[in-house]
Amino acid sequence: MLEIKDLHAKVDGKEILKGLTLSVGAGEVHAIMGPNGSGKSTLSYVLAGRAGYEITGGSITYKGEDLTTMSPDQRASKGVFLAMQYPVEIPGVTTLTFLKTALNAQRRARGEKEVDAVGVLRLVREKAAAMKVSEEMLKRALNVGFSGGEKKRLEILQMALFQPALAVLDETDSGLDIDALKLVAEGVNALRAPDRAMLVITHYQRLLDYIVPDRVHVLSAGRIIKEGGKELAHELEAKGYEQIIKDAA
Amino acid sequence: MNAPISTLDARRAKAVEAFRVKGVPHRRVEEWKYSDLHAVLGADKVEQAGAAKWAVETLPRGVELFDLAAGNPPDWVQQRLGSLSNTGAMEAASLAFAKSGFALRVAKNGSGEVRVRFSGEGQARVLVVLEESAAVTLIEEADEFSGFQNIGVELVLGPNARLTQTRLTPKADQAIRICEIAASVAKDAVYRAHIADFGGKLSRTELHIGLDGAGAETHLSGVGALNDGHADVTAHVVHASGKTRSTQLFKYVAGGHARGVYQGKVTVAEGANGSDSRQTAKGLLLGNRAEIDLKPELEILADDVQCAHGAAIGDLDAESLFYLRSRGIPEAEARALLMRAFIGDAVDQIESESVRASVWQAVDAALEGLS
Repeated sequence: MLEIKDLHAKVDGKEILKGLTLSVGAGEVHAIMGPNGSGKSTLSYVLAGRAGYEITGGSITYKGEDLTTMSPDQRASKGVFLAMQYPVEIPGVTTLTFLKTALNAQRRARGEKEVDAVGVLRLVREKAAAMKVSEEMLKRALNVGFSGGEKKRLEILQMALFQPALAVLDETDSGLDIDALKLVAEGVNALRAPDRAMLVITHYQRLLDYIVPDRVHVLSAGRIIKEGGKELAHELEAKGYEQIIKDAA
Repeated sequence: MNAPISTLDARRAKAVEAFRVKGVPHRRVEEWKYSDLHAVLGADKVEQAGAAKWAVETLPRGVELFDLAAGNPPDWVQQRLGSLSNTGAMEAASLAFAKSGFALRVAKNGSGEVRVRFSGEGQARVLVVLEESAAVTLIEEADEFSGFQNIGVELVLGPNARLTQTRLTPKADQAIRICEIAASVAKDAVYRAHIADFGGKLSRTELHIGLDGAGAETHLSGVGALNDGHADVTAHVVHASGKTRSTQLFKYVAGGHARGVYQGKVTVAEGANGSDSRQTAKGLLLGNRAEIDLKPELEILADDVQCAHGAAIGDLDAESLFYLRSRGIPEAEARALLMRAFIGDAVDQIESESVRASVWQAVDAALEGLS
């Protein structure tokens, strides 16, 4: 599904990713753990195609295609989804209008028939109930005045709506209390599927108690320095990043 | 002995003189700094301009209509026409030289919707008189044309009257379009105006509003979606009486070689205590050849007032754009969505659903060229 080879990337002229290699197969959930400044968010933005994140070496192959030459919207319509750490507030665009516009833009790009307003509402309601997103929230401007938990729930609602093949979750646990975390994790787990891969990026092991990964990778200074099964997350929690990084060196 | 000169004739004569003294405004006249009319229009063109064509398309029952081209105006026209004059050179010109136009009178408690269409070049004069507690929606549409058009409008709102005006001017690259509106708002009356201007060679709507009685209100809003061309709203609201309220909300999006101008002056007269005024003007500047000039201004001569104003110009937010694109929305569509969102609250000030829909349609067409 996703093959990243010797990836180097710069932000503001500074190299952040320094030879990152990673492979995620269909049906797998991989966790990327790393301390602040290790390049976690840079990796997620590079995968989503954000401007200003310059790839200086290596490759990213998604379903056999070069991902790096695609625009962010092309990536999305081909099934790449990034649940953002800080979902953006957009005044003046209601949440429902946004969901409809995005869903139909993706469908159009894939040559599929667009869904009419009634159909979108039915689809959204179905997904919204599970994520406890109220009708009132859907009528509000996108993310405006939403609490941290509401924003993250809306991200997962989008993931459920768009049904991506590759979902990247960037610090989805940040700013969530335990109830919200459980709800979000349940939403993510419900989307685990044999034809879907997930990359869960997090600082803490806590989220991985609820979204149990198949593989765990430790990111430090722009490279994967250690890999293992789900138990690696617990080891990290027990020893701390500093010790693991020292051990790996 | 000569026949006595009517009040109206005297006002017209005065207007001719005023225009000839002032001439066509140029950029060294402070209020015309961003809209140099003199550079595109000679004084002879103004004096020799023909009659602008107009048509009142819907007229509710009980609303009196008088065609100014027909002679012998009735007393109510004689008394009122030109009474709010002398707000500026172009307003004087329309009073002095206009050979066409109409006057409307809505009787006490009368109500309804009036649709007016102006087409082609030339000058016209309009007078609207609302008697006590009358309530009228005035919808003004225009056809695309080339050349010079100058329309002078006087609005007289009696006590507790309601006038809601919408001015929708389509994009017309070769049009020089001037409209000067003077309104007198009596006690407890409310004047609302929305100006949607999609740009001309030079396009300007000037409003001079007197909140003359206690409890009078005015609410002004407007949008300029310009992918070239020029659009200017210049407003002066005078809180002449206490306990009066005014709000202003204007939004501009400008790309290409467009220029959007908003000048909003609010004067709170001495003794007009308890007045409340808010002004907001925002611009979205796309590309480095476009220009937006926002100039809110406050002149407060009373002690106990609440006034707020703000103006801001920016570009589309890169983070918002990336967020939308990361959800599959192509760049052009994402940009249009953000521009629509930016303009939205100003368009939503329009009460009439059908007018709002027409304005949205025109906004979307303009934004397509900008995204």
